[in-house]
Amino acid sequence: MKNKLRELRAARQWSQSDLADQLGVSRQTVNAIETERYDPSLQLAFKAARLFKLSIEEIFESDGD
Amino acid sequence: MNRPNTPEELAPGKYYSFRTEMKVNGWCWAAVLSSFAGECWLLPHHTDWPVALRTVIALVPLVASLLWVRSVAGWVRGMDELHRRITIAACLFATVATLFVVAALHFLVTAGVIPAHFHATAGFVIIWLVVCFYILGQTIFNRRYR
Repeated sequence: MKNKLRELRAARQWSQSDLADQLGVSRQTVNAIETERYDPSLQLAFKAARLFKLSIEEIFESDGD
Repeated sequence: MNRPNTPEELAPGKYYSFRTEMKVNGWCWAAVLSSFAGECWLLPHHTDWPVALRTVIALVPLVASLLWVRSVAGWVRGMDELHRRITIAACLFATVATLFVVAALHFLVTAGVIPAHFHATAGFVIIWLVVCFYILGQTIFNRRYR
C-alpha cells in the first residue's frame, strides 16, 4: 500500500520518533509504514488521518489489483 | 501517550532494561532453576521422599512456566501492532521448532542414540530451546520490517 506519511511528516518537520509518539507506536513501525514494508491496521490508519486532519484515502492509496 | 513495549527492551543493547527483563522473564528463570534443581538433583537423589512432595517438586516448573506465559502475554499486549505481529510470529515459530526438536530428542533417547542421563527432554532444556528459537524467530521476522 502506497502512502504519503513521509511527505506529511516532513512538511511538519517531525522526526519519525515524534510521529511515533503521537500515534502511540514505535519508531520502527513508522519507518516500516513509510517504506511500505508494513500496512497499518485500520485503527492506526484512522489515527494517522485524525492527526493530519485528512481522510484515510488522502494518506493511503491501495496498490490496486 | 504511553510508549509501547518493544522487544529491544529485552535484547542486549542500549534499550535493554533489567527491570523489564525481570518483569517479563522472571518466572522463566524460576522455571529453569526449579526444573534444573528438581530433575537433576532433588528427584533422582531423594527417591524415598513422599509422593506428594515429589509431585510438588515435579510440578513447580510447570506452574512457573504458566506464570511466565502470563507475563509474556501481558508484555505482548502492551506492544504496538507491528511488534505484536513480529513477537507472535516468533512465539509460534519457537513453539513449533521446540516441539519438533523435543520429539526428535525423545526418539533419539528411546533409540539409545543419546544417553538418557543427558536430560535431553527435561523441563529446563525445553525452556532454553523455546528461548533460543524465540530469539532466532525474532531476528528472522524483524528483518522483514527493517
